[in-house]
Amino acid sequence: MKSRWLGLLLLGALLVVLVLLPLLVNNYWLRIATGALMWAGLACSWNMLGGYAGYINFGHSAFFGLGAYATALLMADPLGLPFTVTVLAGIAVTAACAVVIGAPTLRLRGAYFAIATWAFAEVLIQFATVMDFTGGIGGLSLPPFLNERFFYFAMLAAAVLTYLATWALFERSRFGLKVKALRDHEPAAEAMGINTALVKLQTFVLSAITASVFGAIFAYWVTFINPRSVFGGDITDQMVVMVLLGGLGTLWGPAIGGVALFVVNRLIWMYWGDTAFYIAILGAAIVLVVLFLPNGIAGLFARRRGGATVLDKTVEKLARAGGGDRN
Amino acid sequence: MDLFLQTLLNGLLIGGVIATFTIAFQLTFGVLHVIDFAVGGWVVLGGYLGYYMVAAFGLDGFVAIPVAFVLFGAVGYLIGPILYNVRNSRTARPELMALALTFGLFTLLRGGMLTAWGFNTRNVTTALSGESLMVGPVTVPLIRVAAALFAVAIAGGLFIFLYRTRYGLAIRATAENRHNAALMGVNIRRLSANVYGLYAGITAMAGVLMGAIYSVNPESGLRYTLFAFFVAVLAGLGSVGGALVAALLLGVIEAYVATYVGSSYSLLAIFSTLFLVLLVSPRGILRRGL
Repeated sequence: MKSRWLGLLLLGALLVVLVLLPLLVNNYWLRIATGALMWAGLACSWNMLGGYAGYINFGHSAFFGLGAYATALLMADPLGLPFTVTVLAGIAVTAACAVVIGAPTLRLRGAYFAIATWAFAEVLIQFATVMDFTGGIGGLSLPPFLNERFFYFAMLAAAVLTYLATWALFERSRFGLKVKALRDHEPAAEAMGINTALVKLQTFVLSAITASVFGAIFAYWVTFINPRSVFGGDITDQMVVMVLLGGLGTLWGPAIGGVALFVVNRLIWMYWGDTAFYIAILGAAIVLVVLFLPNGIAGLFARRRGGATVLDKTVEKLARAGGGDRN
Repeated sequence: MDLFLQTLLNGLLIGGVIATFTIAFQLTFGVLHVIDFAVGGWVVLGGYLGYYMVAAFGLDGFVAIPVAFVLFGAVGYLIGPILYNVRNSRTARPELMALALTFGLFTLLRGGMLTAWGFNTRNVTTALSGESLMVGPVTVPLIRVAAALFAVAIAGGLFIFLYRTRYGLAIRATAENRHNAALMGVNIRRLSANVYGLYAGITAMAGVLMGAIYSVNPESGLRYTLFAFFVAVLAGLGSVGGALVAALLLGVIEAYVATYVGSSYSLLAIFSTLFLVLLVSPRGILRRGL
């Protein structure tokens, strides 16, 4: 009980600091903080499917890019819609896209799913590059809005919402138990009456629309996007590394990994100004984490669960909660 | 009509080179049960080896081929056991961890090459560069013919090795059922290291050829990883015979799209086909996947 209060206290203190941050630091550091929040949120959104449901999505940048392009296209001249509307439009487009793409691809297991999602993201890159309405390889410009505080608070709100939703849905609800059950043993989960196809699709859509919101804010923030900058594989690469580093399927892992890696990225950028070196570091980080720290940083702090696997616990909890799915 | 024939021939010749490393890729999956994201990285590294052999020592590009096999075979032999350990470890999801490991390796190779050599493209010069052969109305660059012949030799050798030797039998047995193969006295761990070494060596050789036909740069690794995945998906993961057919098909599709639609659409066409095939027939068109 004591550690619970301590945790809440720490969390409250963190929130207060985050809200007051614009008063404490200059615009340069505020931009870095904004980026860190974005990556923490994106890593969390990847973790919903990758960590909790066990489906490795190598094309998650597709949804980030869809959000960014939706906002860029709708805010541009002929339409000129307000930002809040374009974010919602981006969510709608991404959700529709995620349902259409997710329903067939989520039938695939393991590596096939990873390849399919990767191919999907690459199709979108190629598509955005050859089409005219997306501005081709040159990309799109958005009306500039130079208010760092607005973007900081937008990212903060999005990140807090993402983590709250993850906590409520995946850590504190039956939905989360279903997701974990299908991750640990899909046929067993199905046999317990869980509609795995539906649960997977719900997780996939949730993870996609979260990424699209960050994409929309990102596009408005940097005011210029092109296919590589929002659909690029590097974006997915970073999310994967951040989650692996922090800890797959944990609530705080993606936040730790995301902030840590983004800070490393900025430091390298400051001292060398060369992003190719960062790619090599990303790769080395993945290799080292897989070899020596398969449970991530969060795994170092996890309590030892005596004997029982997650599956056993999940099954037990589901049984206690009143059996299978009645949906 | 001439253009049509020319494109077909070009596609088949390139498809032959693609077949060499995709066959090895399939073999690796069959034995190790690991999808190697890093395949494109080995191709590009092979191309760079060829380039530096020419630029630094003034040797012909063809000399680099056996060197690439020995060098990358050794590297693969060292990496193989690591992959094997991760794939068979007691972590929660060894399959995903192995996938993440090769993905990390690929990213590391790409980043390392970008840092060392930048974004410039490099070309492997050989004695046959720039020469071409007239067959009726069709002009064929000699280097493509040589590369395709070489590819046929490698693929043929591999098939003889797999189907006519005792060690090949052990490899096929392991791919079919590793548990039973182990009971028959096959040392799976050592066999995995050998197969991964063989695969890395063949892939690097294909890279030298690719460097001579096109050119290489660190970013083109993704393209070859895509090729390997495309072939794997069409043929079904682990199917060695299907890989040959699928690779030739891939070469032809790419050539036709590049000639008749535009080369900027060729990746779009390949990715879309890959995606659709996965949805329609997840075990491969030939339905021989594992």
